Amino acid sequence: MGLSVLDELPVAERDGLPEADHRLAPTSMDEAARLLDHASELGAQVLVWGGGTHQGMGYRVGPDIVLSCENLTSIVAYEPDDLTVVVEAGVGISVLEALLAEHDQTALLSEVPGIATVGGAIAAGVSGWRRSRFGPTRDRVLQATLVTGDGRVVTGGGRVVKNVTGYDLPRLATGSFGSLGLVAQVCLKLWPLPSTFRTVMVESPEAALDIAFRPMAILETGDGAWCYLGGTSQEVGEQSTALGEHFVDELEWPEPVSADVVVSIRVPPSELRSVLDGLGAGRPYVAQFGVGETTVGLDIGDIDLLPDLRTEVEDLGGALVVTEAPAELYEEFDPWGTPPQTLEIQQRLIARFDPRRVINPGRLPGRI
Amino acid sequence: MSSALAGELRSILGDDGVLDRQLELHVYGKDSGITRGEPSVVAFPESTEDVVAVVKAAKRHGVSVVARGSGTGLAGGAVPLEPSLILALTRMNEIEVVDVENRSAWVGPGVINLDLSNHTYSDGLHFAPDPSSQSVCTIGGNIANNAGGLHCLSEGNTVNHVLALEVVTADGDVIELGGPAPDPIGLDLRAVMVGSEGTLGIVTRALIKLTPNPTAARTLLMSFRSVEDAAKTVSDVIAAGVIPAALEMMDRLMTVAVERFIDAGFPTDAEAVLLAEVSGHEAAVEAEAEIIRAIADDNNAIEARVASDAKERQRMWLGRKSAFGAIAQMNPDYYLHDTVVPRTKLVEMMRNIYEIAERHQITMLNVFHAGDGNLHPLMSFDASEEGVIERVKAAADELLAICVALGGSLSGEHGIGLEKRDSMGLVFNEYDLDAQARISEAFDPDGSMNPNKVLPSGSRCFDFGRPIPEGTWV
Ligand SMILES: Cc1cc2nc3c(=O)[nH]c(=O)nc-3n(C[C@H](O)[C@H](O)[C@H](O)COP(=O)(O)OP(=O)(O)OC[C@H]3O[C@@H](n4cnc5c(N)ncnc54)[C@H](O)[C@@H]3O)c2cc1C
Repeated sequence: MGLSVLDELPVAERDGLPEADHRLAPTSMDEAARLLDHASELGAQVLVWGGGTHQGMGYRVGPDIVLSCENLTSIVAYEPDDLTVVVEAGVGISVLEALLAEHDQTALLSEVPGIATVGGAIAAGVSGWRRSRFGPTRDRVLQATLVTGDGRVVTGGGRVVKNVTGYDLPRLATGSFGSLGLVAQVCLKLWPLPSTFRTVMVESPEAALDIAFRPMAILETGDGAWCYLGGTSQEVGEQSTALGEHFVDELEWPEPVSADVVVSIRVPPSELRSVLDGLGAGRPYVAQFGVGETTVGLDIGDIDLLPDLRTEVEDLGGALVVTEAPAELYEEFDPWGTPPQTLEIQQRLIARFDPRRVINPGRLPGRI
Repeated sequence: MSSALAGELRSILGDDGVLDRQLELHVYGKDSGITRGEPSVVAFPESTEDVVAVVKAAKRHGVSVVARGSGTGLAGGAVPLEPSLILALTRMNEIEVVDVENRSAWVGPGVINLDLSNHTYSDGLHFAPDPSSQSVCTIGGNIANNAGGLHCLSEGNTVNHVLALEVVTADGDVIELGGPAPDPIGLDLRAVMVGSEGTLGIVTRALIKLTPNPTAARTLLMSFRSVEDAAKTVSDVIAAGVIPAALEMMDRLMTVAVERFIDAGFPTDAEAVLLAEVSGHEAAVEAEAEIIRAIADDNNAIEARVASDAKERQRMWLGRKSAFGAIAQMNPDYYLHDTVVPRTKLVEMMRNIYEIAERHQITMLNVFHAGDGNLHPLMSFDASEEGVIERVKAAADELLAICVALGGSLSGEHGIGLEKRDSMGLVFNEYDLDAQARISEAFDPDGSMNPNKVLPSGSRCFDFGRPIPEGTWV
């Protein structure tokens, strides 16, 4: 009898992987496809693991198999003059950004990525702080190759910066948490890095929004507020003067919030201040003005305030999402909140990409 | 069958909401592409409730539904192919609310693109996608085609500017996709509805993201002795880290045609003209305009000048936007192609375009969004001439094939519709096409929304992958 794919694939070695019967690290999309096809046959649950930095999002998955992307680390193609790069899922964001920086370019992914991978950031649909100026990550995923739950390799989009050829699978895959497939390879649109950066401390982020013309970001934390400028030296100089010239540094990003429980609150931009006021002082947060998002850290004893806060935020058309918490909390407090009204269509879509529901099953809002 | 449907529609929409006389129907048989169909009936809903009622009535009568905005689409997306009801959304043209603080507006699908920007101008905001057809095309059509425009180089196509959509599904359900806050939870269905060309549902309302008007702008006109020098300038500008708001190229045939039509001040002795616009902060535009000018000089520009005032600037852009009017003066018919290649392949693609034009004996003019590699070879001809249509089609197919061979794609902004449907196999394999068909099936299992568009028939292959287990709630 031949060996099953479970015995053939390299064993995953990345630190921090959760317990499972098998922890495997395919070295190619074809190997990943064989693994997922086999998992479908077995009806096994597969947890996909990139860097592990966004695993706190969504309902918990008790995996039979962990599929680590640690061996999918090729930079497949980089064309600086086209402002595009094609990478496999397991490439570290910091590795990619270091390469791009050699050509004064950026993928505008997280500014403080830690060990996060490109595939993980896209599957989780997270964006960097510069989205205020450059838009969210999903606006820059030009092409995506997915390995579906039943082991098909499918590609959507193209390696060009402007494209309306067929349904937008790359954007659909962004934030899909693997429900349509392992996000195995992507082509990203890049931006040139501005020649000059400046971080300017400001009194009021709201006032800064009016004064600065489309800054890269305006952030507020418990320690103050900063406007991040990027552009030609003249432009940056004039704008930082207009903002009061409390020049801090070239680029100084805050540390991401770390606490027992971290939540991301998303509201229409104009409602952000009232949400922050409602939170009261003393809790760590990083708020993105002009975007309408804040992450907030809470002690475990503090979580009683979350249900009311969620109701308030959902009434505004937003969401309160858990991004990190001890495992027990997910039983007590729904990590997503009220699921979207389109669950049935979402479910029909997922059934067509992962019919046996093997990749991260039940992770999305509505436990689908 | 369809007269019974027309009767039912009249009871829903009133007499002036329905057209079903032969001559009237004929007008709705095509868009601005080259293919024609024949609708059974045309309905003009005025509200979401009307759309729901019409979609349900069509379903009862087994008639498919083809949404239509202004009919300026160039890919045959709004052409009815089988017994179809045309759902003309032009009366749903209300700008409901503008939320200045959140830089957004709820609008009906029938709102004309430029009307929204004019409406929000005094609030310092605009709708960024600006197709050349912006004074006539609808926002619903822009959403369905994920339309681009001159200023999409820095701002992206329509999908980057849509926050939420209200959609009527094939079953007549009203669903809302996306929302006013960033990163709505769950799968991003909004992103796949945009660009779906009316095949996944009818957009009945949209929450549009508005963009601040630039506080300053500079427009440059650069002329060159060769297309290569112009294309090299485009690459060098991007490589220098400058992303202009717009970067447009016209070749000599085109500038000559434009100058014959209006006086835009384009030099007609240059082989290629570039128009570039930088916008944003006053201090930035000054510096960036200077960088671009210097790069043009390095690439042997005959002339590179910055428009001295608003009047000259408007004249330059009017010249660019009049390109299609100018073409209409040349010959009775034209076929406007839309393909995209990686920016670095522009020169090679242009060489191929001229070679193909020469070989097929077709007048081919070029006016296009050079900054993002989005080409618009424009064939001008007289369809009554023997064999010309065949030559045009053959040339168009060759253009697509070369474009794909250079790493490009089928369409940068006009969409696939009918015209490029059967070329999808050039860029996607059978698994990819099957995946696309699965997306459509999840929204519209019976294929009653704008059928036979976007995907070639037979895309859905049931033997790929594993079947959906019985009893799954799908
Ligand atoms: C002279 C000229 C210049 C042009 N320049 C550009 C350009 O620069 N950039 C560019 O991108 N395009 C351009 N176009 C193409 C065209 O204007 C755009 O594709 C535009 O978005 C179509 O809008 P419309 O209202 O005319 O839609 P239509 O042509 O009526 O419909 C287009 C598609 O959208 C669907 N549809 C329409 N409304 C809805 C709705 N509410 N819900 C669901 N589906 C719907 C239709 O079924 C069809 O598939 C140009 C066209 C012309 C004639």
